[in-house]
Amino acid sequence: MSRKLLLEKAHVENIRLYDVYRREGGYRSVEKAFKMAPADIVEEVKKSGLRGRGGAGFPTGLKWSFIAKPEGVPRHLVVNADESEPGTFKDRYLMEFIPHILIEGMIVSSFALGSNVSYIYIRGEYHWIVDILERAIAEAKQNGFLGKNILGSGFDCEIYVHRGAGAYICGEETALIESLEGKRGNPRIKPPFPAVKGAWERPTVVNNVETIAAVVPIINDGGEEYAKIGVGKSTGTKLMSACGNLNKPGVYEIDMTISVEEFIYSDEYCGGIPNGRKLKACIPGGSSVPILPANLLLTTAKGDKRLMNYESLSDGGFATGSMMGSGGFIVLDDNQCVVKHTYTLARFYRHESCGQCSPCREGTSWMEKILLNIENGKGKLSDIDLLWDIQRKIEGNTICPLGDAAAWPVAAAIRHFRDEFEWHVKNPVDCLTGNYGLAHYADPIHVPVVA
Amino acid sequence: MSVEFSKEKLAEVAEIVKRYPEGRHKSALLPVLHLAQQEFGGWLDVPVMDYVASVLNIEPIEVYEVASFYSMYNLSPVGKYMFEVCQTGPCMINGSDDIIAYIKQKLNIGVGETTADGMFTLKTVECLGACGYAPMMQLGKHYREHLTKEKVDAIIEECRAKAN
Repeated sequence: MSRKLLLEKAHVENIRLYDVYRREGGYRSVEKAFKMAPADIVEEVKKSGLRGRGGAGFPTGLKWSFIAKPEGVPRHLVVNADESEPGTFKDRYLMEFIPHILIEGMIVSSFALGSNVSYIYIRGEYHWIVDILERAIAEAKQNGFLGKNILGSGFDCEIYVHRGAGAYICGEETALIESLEGKRGNPRIKPPFPAVKGAWERPTVVNNVETIAAVVPIINDGGEEYAKIGVGKSTGTKLMSACGNLNKPGVYEIDMTISVEEFIYSDEYCGGIPNGRKLKACIPGGSSVPILPANLLLTTAKGDKRLMNYESLSDGGFATGSMMGSGGFIVLDDNQCVVKHTYTLARFYRHESCGQCSPCREGTSWMEKILLNIENGKGKLSDIDLLWDIQRKIEGNTICPLGDAAAWPVAAAIRHFRDEFEWHVKNPVDCLTGNYGLAHYADPIHVPVVA
Repeated sequence: MSVEFSKEKLAEVAEIVKRYPEGRHKSALLPVLHLAQQEFGGWLDVPVMDYVASVLNIEPIEVYEVASFYSMYNLSPVGKYMFEVCQTGPCMINGSDDIIAYIKQKLNIGVGETTADGMFTLKTVECLGACGYAPMMQLGKHYREHLTKEKVDAIIEECRAKAN
């Protein structure tokens, strides 16, 4: 059984309440942090090897060390709770069931960064969670963990929840900052980076919910202890949100040493695929990361068992691998149509493109239309190459990574499932009612024998 | 309906403005628009947006451009109950198409339309972060998950009962 650091107490009765959370050992990390220098906290986080849990996987301690400290200019920590990547619902779970761990992590992180006013930017649809968080903040304040001169440390800190209003793009940190400032969520050109000029032109660090929650065990146990869990550069635990065709979809905390196969089929995790169906494909890290057919998902091209961590999931690059991303694990069984699924994702990215950059604004719209045509049996074989061409023209040519996020799912679907696209084109009637099925996607990968 | 916040709501606006640095009151725009939509009939008519601009002391265009960017602000009237059904990949895998079709048939409206009695609006939305509990919809402040036709029936009855 995996060690749990974040969700260990998530099911203790009434853990949402301060008194219960405190009795279970909550807020110890704040007491410990105030005996340390802010720079030493940053050092512990560096030692822990913690990587951003929002999707990019950038080392958190390093990100913190970039924050500019100009004299007399306030700095801010902003927690990114705009969780919107299809397949991802782990931050919601954490905030809903154990909100105090986020508040605790925010106090420690705010102290480390020198942020006296910190914000949680939460997606507008998580409306009821705003109440849960605001209650937790009020309780923390009543008990002296927020406000002026916290625990006599001389450090002041307030936390506010800022509710978004429906825009995936606001999960991108500069769009999030624009939105926090009361504007449209149009990403900014970098540099300057938020660590130098962020919210209200002040140095700002934007971190994902899970990342900030992980600061709690890192300070409690020490960065080195945290780094002992996991493997390689995938240290600590990771929350995975599993969905699609699974017996037990849901949020799981894993220690990144287990295999993909174990995660899907073992009873401790997803419990296999329902109705006796077979695994066809999976998007392991949120909708923007490459979809993989069953064989490449379970085994790398080199023939190793694929593991649930940053390195193993990306083994083989985009040719034969994928990414850990946000941990949104979407499973498709042999009854699912890759063309249709890719179409819904293309529609999603078209809907969510902010419209600032032409390649993304125009390209997402064309990809959606072409995919819908193919799905409806009105496609041409040349459309598949056209899709490939469009996605290539989006990738890398936009201000923010939404362009890449829109291009990758289409590219990977064509890369690995081209025969299914061709089948749709060649069988315009059958594809409306039938399904290409599993085909050869679960067959063993052919590995040439080396003499 | 007169477009003006009550004294209590104005105090709430003042509280919201205080969360942001001095002189950065525009930052309160998103939360204040949520408040305005809730107070003034579930959507943002032009006089409402103009009023929000005056309350926050910003230009009306600054409000329009934000209200038109975010999907949760309604720029035309909606029914008393809005069914916002997710249709993205993970929900689609779990049958959101059937749920949408069933609601259409049951309420005799298309996507984006409101029933003649002004009671229900059907809207399709993109991923709301409930993928493990699909299919789902947002209804007001909360999510309704693991939807089935029977659940949809019960939700419609529940809304009708509440409205009476």
